[in-house]
Amino acid sequence: MHIGLGELLIELTLMPLVAFIVGMLMVLMMRRVGARLQRRVGPPFFQPLYDIIKLHSKETQISHGLIHDIGIIMAVGGYIAAETLLPVPGMNGIAEKGGLITLLYVMMIPSLGLALGVGQCANPNGSIGISRALTAMLAYDIPFVIVMAGVAFIYGTTNLVEVINIQQEGGIAAWGAVQMPFMALAGLFALQGMLGKQPFEVYVAPAEIATGPMVEMGGKYLGGLFVMQCFQLYTASVLYVTLFLGGGENWLFLLLKAFAVLLIPISIAFLFPRFKTDDLVRLMWKWPVLLGLIGLVLINYR
Amino acid sequence: MNALDLLLLTSLGTVLFSVVFSASLTGRMLLTMLYAVQTVILFQIDAGTEMVSSFGFEIFNHALGLSFNGLSWFFALITLGSAFFAAWYGLNQQQKLLHVGLSANVFSMLVLLSAGDFLSLFIAWELVSWSGVLLMVLGKQESLVATLKYITYAIAGGMAVFAGIILIYSWTGSLAFNAVTENPLSLSQYGTLAILLIGGFSVKMALLPFHLWQAEAYALTSGPASVFLGAISARMGLFAIVITMMHVVDLKTLDSIFLIPELFTFRDFLIWVAALSIILPTYTALRQNDARLLLAWHGIGQGGYMMLGLLMYDQMGSAGGLLHVFNYASCQAILFMSVFSILHRTGTTNLNQLGGLVARMPLSFLAMLVGIIGLAGLPPMNGFVSKWLVYRSLLSDGMAIVFLASVIGTLGTILSVYKLMHNSFLGQLRVEHEHVKEAPWSMTVPMMLLAIIIFITGVMPGISLELVANAQSAIGLTPVDYHLGGVVSANSAISGDLDMIWVVLVLFSGFGIAAILFLSAGKSRRVHQLDNYAGGHFLNANNQYQYSDNFYAGLMHIIKPWYRYSFKWFEGAVVSFVNLAAVFSRSFFNQAHMLIWMLVVVTTVMAVAII
Amino acid sequence: MKHYIILTVILPLLVAFLLPTIGRFSYFLARALPPIILIFSIVITACVYNNETAPFALHIGDFVAPQGIVFHVDSISLLMALSVQVFALFLWPRRSFKLQSEQIVSNKRYSLMLLLVASANGLAFSGDLFNLYVFYELLAVATFGLISFDTNEANQARFAAAFRYLVISATGSVMALLGIALVYFLTGTLNFAHLATQQANLFNPIGLSAFALLLVGFGVKAELFPVNSWVPEVYSAASKKLSGYLAGVISKLAVLVIIKALLFIFPHSEAAYLMLGLGLAGLLIGELSAMRSNDFTRMISWSSVAQLGLVFIAFSIPGQAGIIAGLAVLFHHMFVKTALFLIAEKWGGRISDLHGQGYLNLIMSGIFIFVALSLIGLPPLPGFWSKFLLLNGLAGQEYYFAIAIILITTVIEVNYLFRVANHLFSREDKPVLPINNHHWFDTLTASLIVVALIVAVWELPTINDQLIIMSDQLLDIESYVNRVLISTENGL
Repeated sequence: MHIGLGELLIELTLMPLVAFIVGMLMVLMMRRVGARLQRRVGPPFFQPLYDIIKLHSKETQISHGLIHDIGIIMAVGGYIAAETLLPVPGMNGIAEKGGLITLLYVMMIPSLGLALGVGQCANPNGSIGISRALTAMLAYDIPFVIVMAGVAFIYGTTNLVEVINIQQEGGIAAWGAVQMPFMALAGLFALQGMLGKQPFEVYVAPAEIATGPMVEMGGKYLGGLFVMQCFQLYTASVLYVTLFLGGGENWLFLLLKAFAVLLIPISIAFLFPRFKTDDLVRLMWKWPVLLGLIGLVLINYR
Repeated sequence: MNALDLLLLTSLGTVLFSVVFSASLTGRMLLTMLYAVQTVILFQIDAGTEMVSSFGFEIFNHALGLSFNGLSWFFALITLGSAFFAAWYGLNQQQKLLHVGLSANVFSMLVLLSAGDFLSLFIAWELVSWSGVLLMVLGKQESLVATLKYITYAIAGGMAVFAGIILIYSWTGSLAFNAVTENPLSLSQYGTLAILLIGGFSVKMALLPFHLWQAEAYALTSGPASVFLGAISARMGLFAIVITMMHVVDLKTLDSIFLIPELFTFRDFLIWVAALSIILPTYTALRQNDARLLLAWHGIGQGGYMMLGLLMYDQMGSAGGLLHVFNYASCQAILFMSVFSILHRTGTTNLNQLGGLVARMPLSFLAMLVGIIGLAGLPPMNGFVSKWLVYRSLLSDGMAIVFLASVIGTLGTILSVYKLMHNSFLGQLRVEHEHVKEAPWSMTVPMMLLAIIIFITGVMPGISLELVANAQSAIGLTPVDYHLGGVVSANSAISGDLDMIWVVLVLFSGFGIAAILFLSAGKSRRVHQLDNYAGGHFLNANNQYQYSDNFYAGLMHIIKPWYRYSFKWFEGAVVSFVNLAAVFSRSFFNQAHMLIWMLVVVTTVMAVAII
Repeated sequence: MKHYIILTVILPLLVAFLLPTIGRFSYFLARALPPIILIFSIVITACVYNNETAPFALHIGDFVAPQGIVFHVDSISLLMALSVQVFALFLWPRRSFKLQSEQIVSNKRYSLMLLLVASANGLAFSGDLFNLYVFYELLAVATFGLISFDTNEANQARFAAAFRYLVISATGSVMALLGIALVYFLTGTLNFAHLATQQANLFNPIGLSAFALLLVGFGVKAELFPVNSWVPEVYSAASKKLSGYLAGVISKLAVLVIIKALLFIFPHSEAAYLMLGLGLAGLLIGELSAMRSNDFTRMISWSSVAQLGLVFIAFSIPGQAGIIAGLAVLFHHMFVKTALFLIAEKWGGRISDLHGQGYLNLIMSGIFIFVALSLIGLPPLPGFWSKFLLLNGLAGQEYYFAIAIILITTVIEVNYLFRVANHLFSREDKPVLPINNHHWFDTLTASLIVVALIVAVWELPTINDQLIIMSDQLLDIESYVNRVLISTENGL
């Protein structure tokens, strides 16, 4: 599909904006579901927005240096850019100029930015948190990469627009979850790890390392991380929907599927205690990898 | 007298110049200029066609000739570029052997790249190996020990190559490059040649299991020497392997030599060697506490990517492998430069004794940041493009497990380079480093230039892909479909394009938007590093508040038992065996009295004669 | 004109016997005369080499062969004689002190050297087995005496070494004599040309054992396995220049004697296999033992054992390829080993004592590294080309096992040679004491050897042609027979 430059620019501006708004709604859902599980009421509708505005308008904003600032900028900016690589109904952005592999790598840039920013904070709690976060990334990326390989084989492409088209043309029978159920299961594990939600939030570990990377982040820095969380939830769930649930035929279905997918890790998150780093690694390298490998073998025999 | 002759003559002239003039600063500046001159001459050679030199001589009825093609051009550019930057970086180093060694290396590498037949290839190969020695001996006593190990390994590899060449001569009667293609051999003969030649050349490339020498040899010597060695020296092995695969055993032949019938071919074996060469050294790098050794181990690991790319049938694969040589050279050069500027200013590269240097050495930090992003293969730097190509070719070829292995390698790289960055530049600045200054201009300017090159070739990979496509045509492969921003995948088994210009534009726009959001909030206040959360305590300068040691404690808890040091054990076993044989041979003469031996011989002979 | 070649044997012999008497009258004359004689005979040899393009035979006393003694002069024997004399000149023992008693000792030393040169020349030219044996014994006697001479009075080991060498060499000579007797028993002649016509009589187990006896007997001097246990002890005990001369030049003569035996007496594959096997064993044991050595002189002595094993392997290849390869390795080793022993003159002793010495004497360390690289076979140095010829010949015969052994031992070789280099250029903090027992002339000789090696690289085509000529002459047994047995107009 050849579109004009002007249209492309509009898409590039809208995609992150939509992602942000949907992301905030997802954060809201997460907090409300968590509240219900903990027998509370939960925050009001606009609370995530209020939180972000509040944090950005604080009077005391502590910075440990230029890299501290740049790190947060990279964290937020990286996700803004990643959204344009994720095709949504009506808007493909630059998804065809870089496929799944590029998306995965661009999603690592925010982590790197955060790591740099935390590094300059010169707080060992933050450093420990980052080292655990990177270890966790090593852990969950293994099953995720197996999933990626499976996706590439089944659809014969790493272009996400084509992946969506193939699934939508075939109906529910062509959905990833139906074609490769083991992969979908492994993908759920990876999703949980990617979101950094319990039981895989050892890198935050509030009571142990004083929230890890966020120990010296206050004011707009924490606000930036909030924004990043919105994007993170959106990206992870929409990516899963794109790969396994046929993408979104229109916005309604996309949002329904995305919120449904997100419900699973959120619900699990509030039920389990925290895994230690090495237990996390061991878990991720055992079951999801096994599921993924079985999925690969099944794909190969097709 | 064409451009190639001029290039070789200028290179030889540079060697002589360095012998005489490298003692003075002006001499060294002129020497750096001479490398630039050689690069200019290189650009006069058309990379798309083959250029034959007028130098050549006959020996034993065999004509030795020199010629350049696209592949040689590509490697020559990287060689000259590395030498230029290394020489610039080393302007203040007065060790004469460094500069002489550098120019000697460049000359011998150019001769290797222009070798036109097997004999000149071997002669140049040995010259390259030995000129590498000149650069490796420049450190302290430890560098001499490492060099001896290198010499032993290098000669072992060289002798294997020698055996291969002798066999080629004996089986085909000729040492020209078309000797084997004109006279087809049997499969077992191809297999023997493959083992000898590829095995011998892969010693220099430090593929498993011949990799134990490279880390110390490349890291423990002086700065500019490390920069040059790490960037291009090992890749000469890759060049030679490409030559072997072009003229002796090509990919299809390798795929028909079955090691396990019906299941496992020689090509599969090499693919797995390359994949393990990616993983194992990268995770060894993770454990290093000396920044130089960490980088040197990464060098070994990245070589695996290049080899992997070349073993793929896909055009993207060979493009990725070759492009990675270029990209990796630039990233490794800049990283070594950054680490050695730390060594220059603080006197140590022990990662547990550094920290917080970003405040004092911002340009070196920037250089390391660019290098790290490139090494890890993240956009927008050039490392991403070559890794993307290799990944895509693995997916096209249906090799999921190898794909997984290479991603595991990348993830390990990310972890270990973050440790490098965090322990040296981030974190708490030590009291003894309070007064450290930025590295001198002669060191920082080449770093910044390299950073610009890495960035530009990352945003517009078409520039370096053009060179790669020329090299691919010279090898005889289909060149990759490239454009200024990236590649298109029209001919690939799996579709999916890459356009870096758009990706980088969007990335930086994203940064811009985030920056606007950030700056529109309240103004931030700079605080001192000791103004930090400490659980209710007040920090002072005496508190060592840096988390450096055992940086990946959780991961190491799991992985540590997996480090069995089997290769070291194997190397030790070989050495012990030779020593045992030596003891036995010495004692052979001590035990038996010689006269008795002679009497025995005489009686046996007489017995034979009479009976 | 060409008869004058006999002077190269006679003149040094004569002067050797007259020298002690001359020395009583004038010490100066006794010192000056031998070098003059050597230069004179070098000139003669060079002239004959230049002028005579074809080999010729000298019937001594005009007696008809095979009864009379014949001297056969071809390119290779001329070149060997030239090497013997030139190297003797450069490695001439220096004078010791001015005391009367020391002068007498020096005179004896000079006369023994002249005896050595004379008998070596005779060995190069002689055309029949018994004459060969006589010169061989003369050579041995001269070496026994020379080994026990050393200006360094503290070196008492030389007497023991000389004695042990005497015993082994004598036993070897007896074995050789036994072999000669067997040959005579089988054919009734000892003249090489005549033997060449009698090969049918020799092609049986007795002939093979005769060859084996000759091989091991003469192999003592040629450092053949298993009779080479004397090598490290003797070479480290004797004066290093003499060791260099023995290892470099004299051992090559012994090899050529064996080759003549191979070509004329028993040119069959069993003999070749025997030589191949012994050569490989010598190569392995030499390199492995060199690796274990802690003493520089012993290390290079073992290395020379190994290299001579290589020479035997080369000559075991049948045909012209083998001869050319063998000659190339032989001549290369002659130069390299002499240079190494000259270096050992300065740096012999424990290797670990050499730490840091390289920085004090850059010329010597440069020579060491250059020579080591040529020994290993770094292209384009001559060592590489000789190895190339050797491996090529082996590949042609499909002796793949031998190729593998040779290449593996090269790796071992590079390791121990550059371990020494590491010590020389060591950067540890220990204090470095300069070693002063060195003479400028030895450095000059070593440098000249390096220059010769470099020139050899340049002149490779010429050397290649020369090698082909030499091998042609050696292999052309028919013309040899015709020259010796039929023509009778030449003679003294």
